[in-house]
Amino acid sequence: MLTGLAQLGHAYLSFLNPLSILFGLGGALVGIIVGCLPGLSATLCIALLTTMTIKLPANDAILILVCSYVGTLYGGSRTAILLNIPGTAANAASCADGHALALRGEAGRAIGIATSGAFTSTLIGVLCLAAFTPVLGNVALSFGSFEFFWLALFGVTMSGTLVGDDPLKGWLMGLLGLFVAQIGQDGLYAHDRFTFEWDQLSGGIALIPALVGAFGFAEILTTLARPKEPKLVELKDSVLPRFREVVEHWPTVVRSGLIGVFTGLMPGVGEDAGAWMSYAAAKAVSKKPEEFGKGSIDGLMAAETGDMASIPGHIIPCLALGIPGSAPSAVLMAAMILHGIQPGPMMMIEHPEFVYDVVAMTTLAMFSILVFGLFLVKPLLLVLRVKRTILMPIIFVLCTIGAFATASRLFDVYAMLVIGIVAFFLRGKGYQMAPFVLGLVLGGILDKNLRRGLVLSDGAIEPFFTRPISMVLAAATIFTLLLYVPAFKAGLRALGRPVRRLLSRRPVADG
Amino acid sequence: MTEVPDAAAVAPPAETPHRSPHADLWGGVAWMGLAVAILVASIRMDRLADQDINPYTIPGLLPGLLSILMLFFGSMLALRGLLAGGLRQRFAAAGREAIAPGRTLLVIGLCAAFDVGLVGRGLPFWAAAAIFVTVAVLALERSGEGRIGRRPTPAAMLKAAVIGLATGGAVTALFQEVFLVHLP
Repeated sequence: MLTGLAQLGHAYLSFLNPLSILFGLGGALVGIIVGCLPGLSATLCIALLTTMTIKLPANDAILILVCSYVGTLYGGSRTAILLNIPGTAANAASCADGHALALRGEAGRAIGIATSGAFTSTLIGVLCLAAFTPVLGNVALSFGSFEFFWLALFGVTMSGTLVGDDPLKGWLMGLLGLFVAQIGQDGLYAHDRFTFEWDQLSGGIALIPALVGAFGFAEILTTLARPKEPKLVELKDSVLPRFREVVEHWPTVVRSGLIGVFTGLMPGVGEDAGAWMSYAAAKAVSKKPEEFGKGSIDGLMAAETGDMASIPGHIIPCLALGIPGSAPSAVLMAAMILHGIQPGPMMMIEHPEFVYDVVAMTTLAMFSILVFGLFLVKPLLLVLRVKRTILMPIIFVLCTIGAFATASRLFDVYAMLVIGIVAFFLRGKGYQMAPFVLGLVLGGILDKNLRRGLVLSDGAIEPFFTRPISMVLAAATIFTLLLYVPAFKAGLRALGRPVRRLLSRRPVADG
Repeated sequence: MTEVPDAAAVAPPAETPHRSPHADLWGGVAWMGLAVAILVASIRMDRLADQDINPYTIPGLLPGLLSILMLFFGSMLALRGLLAGGLRQRFAAAGREAIAPGRTLLVIGLCAAFDVGLVGRGLPFWAAAAIFVTVAVLALERSGEGRIGRRPTPAAMLKAAVIGLATGGAVTALFQEVFLVHLP
């Protein structure tokens, strides 16, 4: 306990220097600008910055990435409020209430609420990050191949179920990601799989080019395929953060913050789930649920708090288990590996100080967004006035560099191009990219641990189901899949009806 | 007494409704085809018997299992589409009207020409980027709403060239000189 506090204190002190603060502010600023631009996601921002910062020392590079991650989600709220288009998927829940406030001439107030909600919820998330990561890391030390097999499968299943509106398509994308991860030399014997004797494929499909393709090029295509430029609502009132409203709505802030962290902990569930679940919970307990979607302060606060709190939540399993909580945290994890830091259970043994460094980085990110929320709201909105026809070709040049820079292979650029085109058409048919990314990240873990587990058990599959943690993870995975079976779902709903009735029995204010 | 709404009830409809029985049916068939191909390749994959490896660690094990799951879920998707009338209904009802196919092809063509035709072909990266951005800005401006077929004015061409050169120069300087990143 005391060692942890000392390491935390040391981490904070190590980042209190002008260069780190400059990097933090710079990362957050780039993140906010990217987040402001509809279509450009946190995943793309972190992937591009990973290639830019590859020559920097590990701590400086990860600091920039963490700050850009937080900045992107915060920046996305501006677009949701002013354009009624979520800057990132996580800001979709803010559109209804944020834009309704903007149409009433209260855009500045809405942005102020988003700033104060983002700051407070990141604070809640940072506290959870500092408290839970070491605990989870120590628990994960008892994990073996059987547990990691199920954890990887559970992540892909959860992501497929909760991201998008069609679990079947989500699972198929997860399986596709897991399959693509098998292309190239296998992890045990360096045997070529699905390479068709093409040398370039032996190295496999690298994560960063795949992500740049799926989230960058596909987004560029989606944005440019729509010829209409969105209409911007003018800012007329003050944009200063409204901490008074945070105090007034503290139950919403605390509840949404905790929901955000909890959803972040679940592997494979994106930040948007945190926002929507917080929004749903706020509406469920609100005295004025009819105002939700029509400019409710409570609704906007819940949505913004939920998505921002899920960022530290996503980083927790990423650091402690080596299982990313979302697509952006998958890139963050890849960046850590590129810089020689291996996330996972051994981190608390090999680099315990790094966990606290990440806590300090997230805190710096939190203050950075506050700085930009206080002083630079209106100038930053100028980026929204740049035409997409000018901006997107420039972004594509960055995508090309992003795909090329990590390994200096032109093959990665072509892979990015192909994956982007395929992702664009698949997205048009309702297939989500997040399960694919999770599959791509977890494919190697799944493969190695399945085969290692079978060797350890001499071919028996019982240990995959009988070891306590394996049993829980297997049950959770199978339960998640069964939820899609109509008969099972109907039975569950019938069982849950009395509980819901009991929960909804509360006094109604005006009779 | 008020009902407690669940997340689905408060969430707005998805940006584009994607449930099309026709697309589900043929999408499911495509998934099944891919799954069968992976399964066959996994079965035929070298089992490294000459290296005397543990039979539970053969390289084709996980891909084979994944392909079986893919086959199952793909057939579920196809069946769902079939039962919902996918053979009769031709097009998705919504979600496609906002996409301009010509513009999509234009963007794909421009980006592919940049990555395959310009990058890594001996041209300095700043020049390749400048050419691409200039051409792309001009072409996309021309294909915008109400501007299709209009010839670009000299001012528009100059503006696009300035944007292109500025992008090529700035991006190259930033990545190559400041961040020491190797460019193609």
